[in-house]
Amino acid sequence: MSDFSELENELKKLRPARPSPVLFARVEEAMVNSESAKIIRPDRFRVNYAALGLGLAAAAVLLLLAKVNTDLRQGPSKSIVQNSPAPKTRSLLPAGRGIEGSRSSDKFIPAGATQVVYNTRDEGLQFTNRSEQPLRRLRYQTKETWRWRNPATGASLRVSYPSEEVVFIPVSGQ
Amino acid sequence: MKDREEVMENVATHEDWKSCFSEVAPGLLLFARQWTRSAADAEDIVQEAFVKFWRRNHNVDNRALLYATVRSIALDFIRRDRRRARREANVFAETESTIEPHFELEDETQSALAAAVDSLPHDQREVLVLKIWNELTFAEIASALGISQNTAASRYRYALAGLKKSLQPQ
Repeated sequence: MSDFSELENELKKLRPARPSPVLFARVEEAMVNSESAKIIRPDRFRVNYAALGLGLAAAAVLLLLAKVNTDLRQGPSKSIVQNSPAPKTRSLLPAGRGIEGSRSSDKFIPAGATQVVYNTRDEGLQFTNRSEQPLRRLRYQTKETWRWRNPATGASLRVSYPSEEVVFIPVSGQ
Repeated sequence: MKDREEVMENVATHEDWKSCFSEVAPGLLLFARQWTRSAADAEDIVQEAFVKFWRRNHNVDNRALLYATVRSIALDFIRRDRRRARREANVFAETESTIEPHFELEDETQSALAAAVDSLPHDQREVLVLKIWNELTFAEIASALGISQNTAASRYRYALAGLKKSLQPQ
């Protein structure tokens, strides 16, 4: 490094240009009126949460409908089991289908859920309103799919919706 | 510059932001100018960064975070308008070697030196600006730029070697 000491001294003699007096006035104004200071607000972050919430709400409604539907169908089925003599009932059912089979035919059971991340974007360092240290903002765009299947009838129900997730990772300074 | 540490202490304790700002502003501005060719844009970045740093980091006792804040806001500034960034990138590419240096020049020697600094690769110039005119340590530079100390030191050496080579008489 000693080879460069002369060059370093020459470089240090260079004086960076002074900022304009307007800058001092602007900073002062921003200091005085904290509301006027520009803050990066993660607007898209909020909007995406809303979209994610809507997607999840839609999925929840579909799940509830499916559950109500199966409960309604199960009611009469149970009374038949309790009131009818077992041998008669069995004799009326088609071959290979028992009482248990008729109960399970109305049930959709969860068959799986997938979340495919098809895009990841590093949106750089950010300051959120509550954080005192910089946070790295990562945006994940995903497609989530939920599947249910009726093992007796083979019917299946599938709900897919796009979602976005924004993750803040604290960045520590030294 | 001898009281820089003391000045930065003031930054952290909110005692006198004006003296702090007048001390660090030229270096911050020079640092910010690397991402924008407009002095006005660079001043916007420095203003936003300094105010944010002041308001949000009461107990911060390291300078790296201030420069990291400037860098973060500068990069965000570029992202806000991608078309503008592309336009500026094209302008950079076309005028990289002819941009006026951002120093108070006293003679031809200094002009040549400033032009040589301007012609350095961006990653080397970034480290040089932080080391020479902002007096950050390699550890602080590494923290501010998100690189290792070895990389920071290496880029600094490459920058000096590049300058020495470009200033040698042909």
